[in-house]
Amino acid sequence: MKLLKKIVPFLLVVFVGIQFIPTKRNQSTEVLETDFSKTFSVPANIQNMFEKSCYDCHSNNTNYPWYNKIQPISWLLENHIKEGKKEFNFSEFGAYSKRKQKNKLKSLASQIRDNEMPMESYTLIHSDAKLSDSDKEQIIVWVNKLRDSL
Amino acid sequence: MKKSIYVLALSALFFTACKTDKKQAESNSMQPSEMNMKEADDHDHGDHDHDATMGEDSSKEERNIDATTQKNSATSAIIDSYLQIKNALVEDSKEGAAKGGTMMLTAFTDFDMSQLNESQHKEYMEILEDAKEQAEHIVKSPIDHQREHFENLSVDVNDLIALLGTDKTLYQSKCPMAGEGKGAIWLSEYKEIKNPFFGSKMISCGSVEKQIN
Repeated sequence: MKLLKKIVPFLLVVFVGIQFIPTKRNQSTEVLETDFSKTFSVPANIQNMFEKSCYDCHSNNTNYPWYNKIQPISWLLENHIKEGKKEFNFSEFGAYSKRKQKNKLKSLASQIRDNEMPMESYTLIHSDAKLSDSDKEQIIVWVNKLRDSL
Repeated sequence: MKKSIYVLALSALFFTACKTDKKQAESNSMQPSEMNMKEADDHDHGDHDHDATMGEDSSKEERNIDATTQKNSATSAIIDSYLQIKNALVEDSKEGAAKGGTMMLTAFTDFDMSQLNESQHKEYMEILEDAKEQAEHIVKSPIDHQREHFENLSVDVNDLIALLGTDKTLYQSKCPMAGEGKGAIWLSEYKEIKNPFFGSKMISCGSVEKQIN
């Protein structure tokens, strides 16, 4: 009990303390020339799905949830976004080599087909980012067609 | 005062805890040893350079890799690591393939780019960027993902050979069922078909399309 009395205030102090550590925010108002939507002619419904379900972690502009400023959630998000952009960045897709574009499109389709993306931990909170079976089908068909045309 | 020290210490811990994994992964793949490539180069030359018209032996230090000669041992370490991945996937060995992936990252790090001429450089960089990414995924993924990335990697290594050549004898084979039914190629050091895309499930699927050297 005595120990608990020491630990709880300690954790509280830590929690308050880490709130002061700044994080990098992934936000930009400008849509780059290399953005996916400017590189290819993407049907509006497909682009909409990408923006809703993918862009938060895979582009230079994240639509942050309200709790994003609370640590350690901020760190978690920052890390996710960093990893996500490294893997596939819609904002810079046009700057990728043809070789890379093709392989990335292939991975995009297979990740969606296998339900690995969008991640469950993400759709749990962002229910509008969930893709229905017909959404998935549409994306996969379109992406495969695009890949074959490259 | 004491409390704020605790806070700092703990937050520092948070930071480092998040980053360790990645650093380790990076240091695994980065073991630069500049000498390796040259040694392999010299060694292979003695063994394989039986074509007199190539004339690669003179002034080896300065020579540019000539795509038209197609007898180049500088790509050997990269191809060896590729074959290690291929053979592991034939045997359904995730660990073996991951090991090959690490070998490939080292081979690319050790590759001497100064031997490339200007026209080769751009394509090499594109192949390098892509192949490294495939190799990184092969290091850390379950076997079905490894196989997906191996498809891409096979194209990369095939293009690398078309660009820079090799002194190895290789067979390019195609499995019509891989690549989501579109077919996919792989390279092997032997003629016999042993399918890396499906392993034991469909070991003999495919046929040789082309012999290199």
